[in-house]
Amino acid sequence: MPQKPFRLGVDVGGTFTDFLVVDAEGRAKLHKTPTTPDDPSIGLLKGLEELAADFGLGAGEFAQAIATIVHGMTVATNAVLTRKGARTGLITTYGFRDVLQMRRGYRPERYNNRYQHPAPLVRRRLRRTVRERLDPTGRELEPVDRQDALAAIEFLKTEGVESIAVCFMHSHAGSGHEEEVAALVTERLPEAYLTVSSKLLPQPRIYDRVSTTVINAYVGPVVARYLRSLTRRLEQLGFRGNLLVMQSNGGVAGAAATIEAAASTLLSGPAAAPVAASALTLEHGWKDIVTMDMGGTSFDTALVRDRTPLVTTDGQIDGLPVALSMLDIHTVGAGGGSIAWVDAGGMLRVGPQSAGAKPGPVCYGLGGAEPTCTDADLVLGYLDPDYFLGGRMKLDVRGAREAIKTAIADPLGISVEKAALGIFDVINVNMAEAIREVSVKRGFDPREFPLVVAGGAGPIHCAAIALELGISSIFVPRMSSVLCAAGMVLSDFRHDYVRGHRSLLGDSEAEALLARFQEMRAEGSRQLAAEGIAEALVSDIWSMDLRYPGQHHEVNVEIGEDDVSDPAAIVARFHRRHEQLYGYSAAEMPVEVLTLRLTCIGETRKPELRQRQIAQGGEPAARKGSRPIYLHAAGGFVAVDVCDGDRLGPGSRLAGPLLAESQTMTVVVPPGFALACDAMGNFLLSSSNANGP
Amino acid sequence: MAHDSRIDPLLVPVLQRKFKSITEEMALTLLRTTRSPILAEARDFVTGIYDAEGEALEQSDYNPIMGFSLQPSLATVIEYFGDDIAPGDVIFHNDVFGRGNQLNDIGIIRPVFLGDRLIGWAGCKGHQADIGGSISGGYDPRVREVWHEGLRFTPIKVYERGVLRRDLWNFIAANVRLDMVMQDLKAGIGAAAVGERRFVETAKRYGLEVFQAHSRELLDATERSMRSEISRIPEGLYEAESWVMYDGAREGVRTKIKVAVVVDGEEITFDFTGTGAQTPGYVNAPASAAAAATMIGLLMHVNADLPRNAGMARPVHMIFPEGSILNPRFPAATAMGNHLANQILHAVFQALAKACPERATAGWCWTLVDITIATHPATGRKFVDFDFFANKGGSGGTRGADGCDHLGSAMTAGGISGQDPEMYEIQTPNRILMQEYWKDSAGAGQWRGGYGTHSIYRIGGRDASIVTFGAQVSDEERPFGLFGGRPGTLNRIVHTFPDGRLSEPRAHDILLGADGVTVEHWAAGGGGCGDPSLRPAEKVREEVLDELLSVEKAERDYGVEIDPVSLELRGRQKAG
Repeated sequence: MPQKPFRLGVDVGGTFTDFLVVDAEGRAKLHKTPTTPDDPSIGLLKGLEELAADFGLGAGEFAQAIATIVHGMTVATNAVLTRKGARTGLITTYGFRDVLQMRRGYRPERYNNRYQHPAPLVRRRLRRTVRERLDPTGRELEPVDRQDALAAIEFLKTEGVESIAVCFMHSHAGSGHEEEVAALVTERLPEAYLTVSSKLLPQPRIYDRVSTTVINAYVGPVVARYLRSLTRRLEQLGFRGNLLVMQSNGGVAGAAATIEAAASTLLSGPAAAPVAASALTLEHGWKDIVTMDMGGTSFDTALVRDRTPLVTTDGQIDGLPVALSMLDIHTVGAGGGSIAWVDAGGMLRVGPQSAGAKPGPVCYGLGGAEPTCTDADLVLGYLDPDYFLGGRMKLDVRGAREAIKTAIADPLGISVEKAALGIFDVINVNMAEAIREVSVKRGFDPREFPLVVAGGAGPIHCAAIALELGISSIFVPRMSSVLCAAGMVLSDFRHDYVRGHRSLLGDSEAEALLARFQEMRAEGSRQLAAEGIAEALVSDIWSMDLRYPGQHHEVNVEIGEDDVSDPAAIVARFHRRHEQLYGYSAAEMPVEVLTLRLTCIGETRKPELRQRQIAQGGEPAARKGSRPIYLHAAGGFVAVDVCDGDRLGPGSRLAGPLLAESQTMTVVVPPGFALACDAMGNFLLSSSNANGP
Repeated sequence: MAHDSRIDPLLVPVLQRKFKSITEEMALTLLRTTRSPILAEARDFVTGIYDAEGEALEQSDYNPIMGFSLQPSLATVIEYFGDDIAPGDVIFHNDVFGRGNQLNDIGIIRPVFLGDRLIGWAGCKGHQADIGGSISGGYDPRVREVWHEGLRFTPIKVYERGVLRRDLWNFIAANVRLDMVMQDLKAGIGAAAVGERRFVETAKRYGLEVFQAHSRELLDATERSMRSEISRIPEGLYEAESWVMYDGAREGVRTKIKVAVVVDGEEITFDFTGTGAQTPGYVNAPASAAAAATMIGLLMHVNADLPRNAGMARPVHMIFPEGSILNPRFPAATAMGNHLANQILHAVFQALAKACPERATAGWCWTLVDITIATHPATGRKFVDFDFFANKGGSGGTRGADGCDHLGSAMTAGGISGQDPEMYEIQTPNRILMQEYWKDSAGAGQWRGGYGTHSIYRIGGRDASIVTFGAQVSDEERPFGLFGGRPGTLNRIVHTFPDGRLSEPRAHDILLGADGVTVEHWAAGGGGCGDPSLRPAEKVREEVLDELLSVEKAERDYGVEIDPVSLELRGRQKAG
């Protein structure tokens, strides 16, 4: 046995902390332990001890045997959501004190006079201004007023800030002024956590940049404290391996890099799902997939294109823009807890209100009174009242029926079953349209993408959603319930670099462009070297944000190193991508460059996840009974086979309708779909109704 | 409830969600393909799909004033072309004497066919950066007739059976100033095509008969919801008025906007009888613009979480007397019509405040905008820029909530984004020197008004002129306070020439020779709601700490005494 055989993914969720341990032979072990929200590292360490016991090892022995821990954490996200980040000051350009709070002057709910914007992370008093000014090309119009800067720093010091953000107008075109003030901050307030916008995100659009810079400043000290304390405790336990942190961009980074750009962990957990989905479906030859994750209150969807999850720089948290590269995960308020109601016009609606986990659906018997999607799933027979969470929780069918009858069926003058079906249909169309909108927005046709499913409720709804979208292949991973932890052990290092560079394509000297890309590449190599990655394992992706002059949105176009000296090739690619996204291109127009981007990838050693041991016995043994479920095609209840999902193995192939039930999920296989298992024991549903990939 | 046995009540919400997704997809297409900042950044447009009779099935009201303006255009299109409609046609319409709302707002409409049967319409309408006429940008206080204002599409077919009419296209291009407009019109045609395609897919999927029956039921259900909302408003007659001051043509003349809101069971009527006569200038609202404004006012006073279709308008009636400023006779100029939404809304707000005090809002900021028309020194090309970023005033306070700061004029209801300052400087040669909250601008109240803004920017273009248009520069127009709240502040613009001379434009004005002028623009703070002495002293002090509120105003309006040096709370008196 090698000295450090274990690789560990740890995903801290709202309720549970999920673990996936892979040993040197690729054997995987799943584990869950309750999350300890006040200090997530307590739950994490407890989970380690429990796992150690499982392996028959002492906690220290186990810790010493771990080569790598990849950690998905919610520390930054929670700090923003609960407004418990660091006391932060902002130093910005004179005349622009309020950009952060002014937002774009837009009210999402136009007719709601009570609408209130989310509170800014830095109140006005702690936003101080300095006379200085650059023009959009980075030319100095007014030098930094040192007196202003010193006064601002002195004031923030008196106010006891722990963290300082510096963001000046047009610092995307020149970082000199910010650096000058940053040096003063370091000198006068060396203990403060410092975030400089031109270092974090040198790209134009000050509102997005100041918002991102401030978020980083706000969460930085909290993330730093957490990671330092976690590192110390792991070391005390005997851990001598590598602690990596899952990043919003779908890659991993070391603790030191994470502490510097703390805002890059805002999607730390969810970002692992598309990564896992992409890795687990590799053996099926799928390059393009769409993922869905249906939880209790929200529904997340993301696209993977050519094995790479799509990335956005238009992200948000709690209504605050984050312009760092992060996986393009689209969230809508639809989940098992979504509440169904009938509006004054007699129309059935589902959501956006949710019963959440508490009181939860009526059938949980925890005090919920309003019918939810989960209640409908139960009434339709898709959930077994006696086998929810493997039988650990009994579901109240009568309560669910009664609630649906009172709130939906009676007002509409229809049966309880019909009303439940209505709830099921409406939430499915909500989720399907969300998938369609996110794909169409990116210029893709969802029908071409197999659907990969995560989350407890997903496997019940996925076939209906796929039918709605015309998707014919569905993949339900066996480790669906710990998918993010799985993604973590399968991720590479990933660092994103960006440079503002405004010019007409072709006008810029190729050498100048090349130099900027090489500068980013060198920065990437240095970073990865510091994280212990050999240069041979480093690769990179180059791209440019381009647009027609006068447009207000850019299109990101990937380029090769050789293209830098061949602008015509880039232009052609831009026209094509524009055509694909928006249905037209304008060959006669020049093309403007706004931003250069480079992603540096450091390949990690990934475990070969091996075929799990499947109970032998084949399909007849897997059949454990039958129960009536509502089938659209039949227009009523039909008794279908219920199989034990844990006993289905490679080679199994069953025609729907049927249910595949395991401890953590129920897969609904409607007529017209066939259920199969791959070599890893993951479920594949394929439809004979549509033409798929 | 649906009584028709062929109706599946559960298919109705499914269709509704699909319709919403269609108009959203059209809007996304438009948002990302247009170039004019008014469309791409300010989102001044609407997209919609309609049934064969022209009733809205769904619309995306990014800018609410546009929200209800496409259906009237479509009615004119249907009337005009009758059966002479074929697959692949694309129709433009903007005529303000044919139910249009403003010449710059061009409706782009495509018929939707299933085989050879017309089953509906898909379209969009957005504010185009130019439509010919006497001046770039479309706001010229000197105009007196519609012909001064630009091209009228009464309507016209730009594509016939999928073939572009190049003669017409070139004719339009020859009559507008900016190439960008033609590109933006193309983007609009593309957005309508997206709507058409998905409309057909959806109708095919469910079968035409089922599709149509359920679309009708969707509109009926929405109508029932709106009726139920209206029936919650106490029956009665609620009257109020507001004033249109300088009309660009006559000094010292003011025109009354008068509304009588009659709530009768499930129906509501907005009767503007008693409103003053049309003006000789361009300060007149076509009835469809006035109707859109009135609808915004109503929606703010009911639960507006309703599908956006024609059903919601059925129990709502409006009367705009012919020859009045809200329904002028041919050939009046009307470019300011959409902006009269501000005055209309203030009348409607004050009338409905008596009927629905829980949702009522105090007065808002109104439109006052400078347009820069100049040549960009770097490109040598002419550009037109609306300084919407500087017209970001506050909304009014409401029981339970302060007004929003830096939101914009009432007519936008917060639906228009301001330009990002860096992008503004990248796109135009103008330089922004300041854009911050305007201290002490919010009307005091238990729930204060939203703070207005104070912006300073310098014109960087050559051969520059500045067109000013808008209102709310005199006391009669001040954002009113509600239920004991104090009024807000007024809009104001001051121009400073390079030699130090100052001039203050009227609400409608043109400044030629504006090279190097510095524009200082104050956008109004909203009115407050409720007795200011009931606002918690700590909340008042917080705003003093944030330098939004002066120690003097805290004491004068709120009776909160704060030590000017230590900023500690000293005490509270009943406000005087």
